[in-house]
Amino acid sequence: MIIVAYIDPGMGALIWQTITAAFVGLIFYLKKTRRWIVNGFRKMFQRGQKAATLTANKTPAAEVEAKTEVR
Amino acid sequence: MLPPAPSFRDPAGCCLVFNQRVLRFVTVEAVPELEKFLQTDCARRFIAGKRFISTRRLADVETARLRAAPELLPAFNAQPGGAVFEHERVSFPGYPHEWPPEMLWAAGQLTLELARAALAEGFGLKDATPRNILFRGSEPVFVDALSLEHRHPADPIWKAHAQFVRTFLLPLLAHRRWGLPLADIFTVRRDGIEPEEVYRFCSLWEKLMPRMLALVSIPTWLSRIASPDNQKVYQPRVLANADKAQFILKSLFKRLERTLNWLEPVAQKRSGWSDYMDTHSYDDPAFAAKEEFVREALNEFRPARVLDVGANTGHFSVLAAQAGAEVVAVDSDAACAGAIWRRAREKRLNILPLVVDLARPSPALGWHNGECPSFLNRATGAFDGVLMLALIHHLLVTERIPLEEILRLAYEVTNLLLVIEFIEPRDKMFQRLTRGRESLHAPLNAAAFERACAAHFEIVRSLALPGTERRMYCLRRKGGVN
Repeated sequence: MIIVAYIDPGMGALIWQTITAAFVGLIFYLKKTRRWIVNGFRKMFQRGQKAATLTANKTPAAEVEAKTEVR
Repeated sequence: MLPPAPSFRDPAGCCLVFNQRVLRFVTVEAVPELEKFLQTDCARRFIAGKRFISTRRLADVETARLRAAPELLPAFNAQPGGAVFEHERVSFPGYPHEWPPEMLWAAGQLTLELARAALAEGFGLKDATPRNILFRGSEPVFVDALSLEHRHPADPIWKAHAQFVRTFLLPLLAHRRWGLPLADIFTVRRDGIEPEEVYRFCSLWEKLMPRMLALVSIPTWLSRIASPDNQKVYQPRVLANADKAQFILKSLFKRLERTLNWLEPVAQKRSGWSDYMDTHSYDDPAFAAKEEFVREALNEFRPARVLDVGANTGHFSVLAAQAGAEVVAVDSDAACAGAIWRRAREKRLNILPLVVDLARPSPALGWHNGECPSFLNRATGAFDGVLMLALIHHLLVTERIPLEEILRLAYEVTNLLLVIEFIEPRDKMFQRLTRGRESLHAPLNAAAFERACAAHFEIVRSLALPGTERRMYCLRRKGGVN
């Protein structure tokens, strides 16, 4: 149950809180967008790094296979 | 008949003290909400840390027993079908009009901490007033359990914000900038100061300072521009995104916390009495003898609760607290009370400092004079020991209060012990206060003082302080407990 506040919310203060809430709401979206971009880059970077690691891990095995074939 | 309930504005219930028990009558609609909050981690953490009053719901048998008390009938009738909760009792309530600024600041900190912690559990404070808080010694404790309400997760507005500003931030600001005593604010204003009132005090430069803009000037300008009939402003707002609402509220609490930290009272280097301990009229042996006398009296009588009147910076309050007593230290100087609060907090001593002038003690306040009882009402019979050190010459000379009246008041307050310092009219400080009115006090001497004491007390022992015109008395109250 939500009880309606019984105290005086103050007119000027309440309008000012609403204005700052709108402004902070914008910051929320800016932060969210920044996080989305940063995460995107991070994912891309991690994907690239993973591919490089896989290649690095695969190379010795491939070399071994190649050498075995030669023998 | 019981006095009117000290808390009755909240439609969710009322609180009253009955037979030394603090009872909260809660409406049937508000009971599940209160119980749900008490089960949250936040409530458990705050109760365990002694920062939220411990609360339990009374069993039906206990409630039925209370129903038999005719004094409680109005409270039961006002909440039909509701429940009764019992709170732990804070032994000596001190109210915002008696607090030094340091205590108002600490109470503000607790309010914000609780608001932030409760938000994480889906609860919010529906009011934010210092009246929600009492002090156990120097530590604030949140006592209004019904202040917590369930919040809509997507509501970005804290309705109690303006009240927090009116009752915490603006009084601290007015005290800091213009030296306005908190007693002057809270004795005559229940709900603090409006930004519009503070705006009138400000110079143009002050009005434009960034912090003053947000706290005072912009709310004042907005309230002038907005139509007072516009009810849309007060309509509840719910956003589509609950995360965004939480982000907005967290940011609001962070801003309020920063402003509160900016307003943290600084220890005053000098006030009328704060340097008394360095400038008093005793030499070292006299002061050591006085200290030893007080210590001996405390060790002999072992008072559980002590009232130190005219406590100054709390030297003897500390002595009493170290002897195991729960101390209330009163002084008319807010800087002295603030210094005691800092000292008590630092040393973790059970001392409650209050700004009270015994010659004009805090009156009963609020509706029917029943919301905050007077200081004397709370103090009568509430202490086992009273200290009146280096005080009576101020009451006798400056306030012109008869000696018999001073002793009668001490008799009403203490149940057992009175340690009092008698100051001869020949004393340097006494003469400084008389300012040519020595003849008024000519008949006063140690023999006359002892005769006056005999009406209410028996003299256990006395000691002349070496090199001074002062004498210490350890007195036992006649006629048993109040």
